[in-house]
Amino acid sequence: MKAIAKAFLRHPSGMLGLVILLAVIVLAASAPLLFPGDPWDTVAAPFTPPDTDGMLLGSDSLGRDIAAGIAHGTRVSLMIGVTSTLVALIIGVVVGALSGYVGGRVGEWLMRFTELFQTIPGFMLCILLVAILSPSIRTVVIAIALVSWPQVARLTRGEFLALKEREFVQAARCQGESPLSLIVRYILPNALSPIIVAGSLSVASAILIESALSFMGLGDPNLMSWGFMIGAARTMLRQAWWMSFFPGIAILLTVLAINLVGEGLNDVLNPRISRK
Amino acid sequence: MKKREFHKFMLAAGAMGLVEIPLGITKAYGQTKGGTLNAIIQPEPPILNLAISQLTPTQTVSGKIFLSLLTYDVNLKPMPSLAKSWTISPDGKTYTFKLETNVKWHDGKPLTSDDVLYTVKEFLPITHPRAKAIFGRCESITAPDAHTVVFKLAEPFSPFIGAFDISNLPVMPKHVYAGTDVTKNPANLNPIGSGPFKLKEWVRGSHIHLVRNDNYFKPNLPYLDAIIYRVVPDGASRALALENGTVQLTQWTDLELFDAQKLSKKSNLAVTTKGYEYFAPIMWLEINNRNAPFSDKRFRQACLHAIDRNFIKDKILYGFGKVATGPINSKTKFYEPNVRKYEFSIAKANALLDEMGLKKDAKGVRATARLPVPPYGEMVQRSCEYIRQSLAKIGVTVVLESTDPGSYTQRISNWDYEMNLSWLYQFGDPALGVTRNYVTSNIRKILFTNTVGYSNPEVDRLAEAAAVVVDETKRGVLYSQMQKVLVEDVPICWLVEMEFPTLHDKRIQNLVTTAIGIHESFDTVYFKA
Amino acid sequence: MGWLKGLAALGARLAKMVAVVLLIAVFNFMLVHSAPGDPALVIAGQSGATDEQFLQRVRADYGLDKPLPTQLATYLGKVVQFDLGYSHRQQRTVSSAILERLPATLLLTLSAFTISLVGGVVLGSLAGVRAGKASDTLISLLALVIYATPVFWMGLMLVLLFSVQLGWLPAFGYQTIGVTMSGWDAVVDKLKHLALPAFTLGMLYLAIYARLMRASVIEVSHQDYVKTARAKGASESRILWRHMLRNALLPVVTMAGVQAGTLIGGSVVIETVFAWPGLGRLTYDAVLQRDYQVMLGIFLVLSILVIAFNWLTDILYRVIDPRIKAA
Repeated sequence: MKAIAKAFLRHPSGMLGLVILLAVIVLAASAPLLFPGDPWDTVAAPFTPPDTDGMLLGSDSLGRDIAAGIAHGTRVSLMIGVTSTLVALIIGVVVGALSGYVGGRVGEWLMRFTELFQTIPGFMLCILLVAILSPSIRTVVIAIALVSWPQVARLTRGEFLALKEREFVQAARCQGESPLSLIVRYILPNALSPIIVAGSLSVASAILIESALSFMGLGDPNLMSWGFMIGAARTMLRQAWWMSFFPGIAILLTVLAINLVGEGLNDVLNPRISRK
Repeated sequence: MKKREFHKFMLAAGAMGLVEIPLGITKAYGQTKGGTLNAIIQPEPPILNLAISQLTPTQTVSGKIFLSLLTYDVNLKPMPSLAKSWTISPDGKTYTFKLETNVKWHDGKPLTSDDVLYTVKEFLPITHPRAKAIFGRCESITAPDAHTVVFKLAEPFSPFIGAFDISNLPVMPKHVYAGTDVTKNPANLNPIGSGPFKLKEWVRGSHIHLVRNDNYFKPNLPYLDAIIYRVVPDGASRALALENGTVQLTQWTDLELFDAQKLSKKSNLAVTTKGYEYFAPIMWLEINNRNAPFSDKRFRQACLHAIDRNFIKDKILYGFGKVATGPINSKTKFYEPNVRKYEFSIAKANALLDEMGLKKDAKGVRATARLPVPPYGEMVQRSCEYIRQSLAKIGVTVVLESTDPGSYTQRISNWDYEMNLSWLYQFGDPALGVTRNYVTSNIRKILFTNTVGYSNPEVDRLAEAAAVVVDETKRGVLYSQMQKVLVEDVPICWLVEMEFPTLHDKRIQNLVTTAIGIHESFDTVYFKA
Repeated sequence: MGWLKGLAALGARLAKMVAVVLLIAVFNFMLVHSAPGDPALVIAGQSGATDEQFLQRVRADYGLDKPLPTQLATYLGKVVQFDLGYSHRQQRTVSSAILERLPATLLLTLSAFTISLVGGVVLGSLAGVRAGKASDTLISLLALVIYATPVFWMGLMLVLLFSVQLGWLPAFGYQTIGVTMSGWDAVVDKLKHLALPAFTLGMLYLAIYARLMRASVIEVSHQDYVKTARAKGASESRILWRHMLRNALLPVVTMAGVQAGTLIGGSVVIETVFAWPGLGRLTYDAVLQRDYQVMLGIFLVLSILVIAFNWLTDILYRVIDPRIKAA
């Protein structure tokens, strides 16, 4: 672990990503301190431009503070990103592990089932799910998870297929270890690296999907999220560019940071597949 | 330069604002005859037969193709259309209409009282629930001759004369529809009406092209050669189209309100909010009266005090509206301004809730309410958000729930909500469009009824009496009393009387002359050269 | 016998496609019908007033009162005959509504696909060949940033720049309304309207393919046969280049196939942002209206489209792969 951490510290782009990400997390944590009150409240005249009347990033059509919205929105994005990824990881690892470990026909059919999910245009599925189950934070998380798990499953299956033939696993099997023990104690820990990387990149894509859903009005209407802010600003592009500009930058920076960290992790954990 | 190239050049030049777009008009008879009116229609109507669908865009376009017996001026007084004159018996039960004698259908056949009878007795009951309910009050509908129709009510119903507009009684051709399945009749795609315009072509997703009916029963009318309704799905594009002259007319909610506000200042455009008097909706916040604490009128009164309705009118409706004072719109008949007032005051709101004994919990919350939000656009969304913030200030937590039209309809119909933002048309008369929301007999599990479950025997009595009394003054007194009672009980929080901007090229004349404004037949609309 | 084998392979593929489509159809149907709510009320409610008899008529019209398995069986039977049902909201058959919108979506997705593939390959190769140099850093950085950008926001920003500020390109729609154009003018007009949406949609995938191509080119350049050939003589570099390129392209093409689903899904957002009259837009409207028939139909068609794109990339792969002898 120490070696990995040290290696990561020396990875320039990964560190850059980490720094930005930490800044984002700090913003999320300190949002209630920096911007007390409800970001939904009207605090200024509508359509105030940036850097006027105490509005750092301007105000929207109902006079709500854009900066406050972005700060509070950080929590929403991070929470949804992490939660949906966790769910996707659980589903994906279980399916992939089963498919890879059991192998044979069952494994094949599990893979076919996974492929089916990948054939369906993912975002369309999200829209359908959220619209049908009615938009709320819960349904958004479920929808994103259901679209993200196939990649994890495929990856896990690949790892399991390779690892289960390895000597140390065979040895453990000969020693009478139960399949569950084999999976959890022997194979999984060694398959973790690519899964972690996939997971971190998944968080980034989850944030992008959530913002797209909110943009189209399918997000939770009680949560001030970045996608929602851009969606609300859409018809006023000409009059108030700042309403859509700043939330987009927020998404961009956060996703970029997570991607950099993920790729840094990848370089560090899988040095043989280094791309430098 | 060839003619087509010239035309293209002129259009391009016009689009650049260099030159006024020539409309192909010629001067005649003091009015300018000719020209094509380009307008927006949003959303695209599903069908052009008004008897089958009464959706607003269908009304807008079909009002040029079909006619009814009457129309109504801006003070909601009846005016002739297909009926040239009418009498009402002193006991208020018999309505006799004399029809114009020279009206022809678009296919040349004459329009007679048989068509009216067929429409009211056989066609509309299948497709038009509201018409069915109103004309179901008749004990007989007869045609003593080819140009007379007699409606005999079982008992007097004063608003009855208000039920003969184009959305309620569009006259259908019997010779085309009788004996067929009206919903699947091919004439629905190629409508045969008696109006001043007929359908030339409908390219779905693009435009609806209407042309002059040369056999229109009024001589020398209509003035316009054609009307083209253009379908433009995007709000910003619609505003652009009006701005650069591609279209000369928008109505209802075609434009986002802030675009309407901005464009109304242009020198070549005129804006009017007239022509919606027949509909006159009030945007309101329904509060389900059934469970505590919402069943206590003080809660509802507090809500009304807590919402800054001027803010909604100015910042969400961009000035297109008027703060409502009660259940009846100031443009509808029998409006009573002298009722209890609820000015914006957080203090008063809190005082009422305290008086009720509705305490705040550890987080400062007194009550929680669910507010389903249908996807009906920005204005609805912003209003719901604003209401949530306003009520949060008096300790009422409003939880917004995004819904689709289907589940929204279902939830409201089944009373599965605490709060609901809505508006309904008033149809010019409280008995037609207002009392249905407050009388005990109309508490049903269906939309547009008394969904909040308000029940007050005094209101029931007043509404019932006012519906059958013939004398207008007496009706006025009864409705005044009713409004006073309702405004004291606040079954619904009336927010803002909605106004809709009709924007048009200044050269267009006679556009809005009646209470249904741009739904009219447009037979006297012309371009001033 | 080669062509017989090929035919058998084709047959197997078609069978697989049909099976997948039917499975998706069943899946769609169950998905949509797990929804809460009574669709009859929606259709009736829009007529301005409602009553029981009217609702009954609506239910009978749509077969909503029949049990679900019966509805499904009826639906599947129709799907096989390309009958995707009737939409009351649009007053016409679902297949006609879809067919009308399909060309616009095809135009958009194919353009975006081409832009992304061509652009990605060119930029990625450039970066890979000049690995470590300034141009490589620039391209890699750009790709990284684009990859992190929400596609709908990028669309809005591009509109702000090219349409509102510069006035070079139109902001929304398919063509200029109110003016009938013909011939070259019409083509140019459509291209102008296509530019921003196609570019926006393609940008994300361009970034992906560029990075992949770059990595691929770098990896291939380390291969033994390349090193040997290089040692033999620089004059062979052009042939080497073509050879390298073909090998480097393979992973990119494979990735393009995998991304087909996301590309088509992404067109939904783009069509919404740019008011592009395609299937994505139709989906959104149908979802808002709970127009079941339309939703199911589009879902099915889009899945078929994804499979078609996969075929396309498969063919592309075979054409490019130097190990497969030209038949």
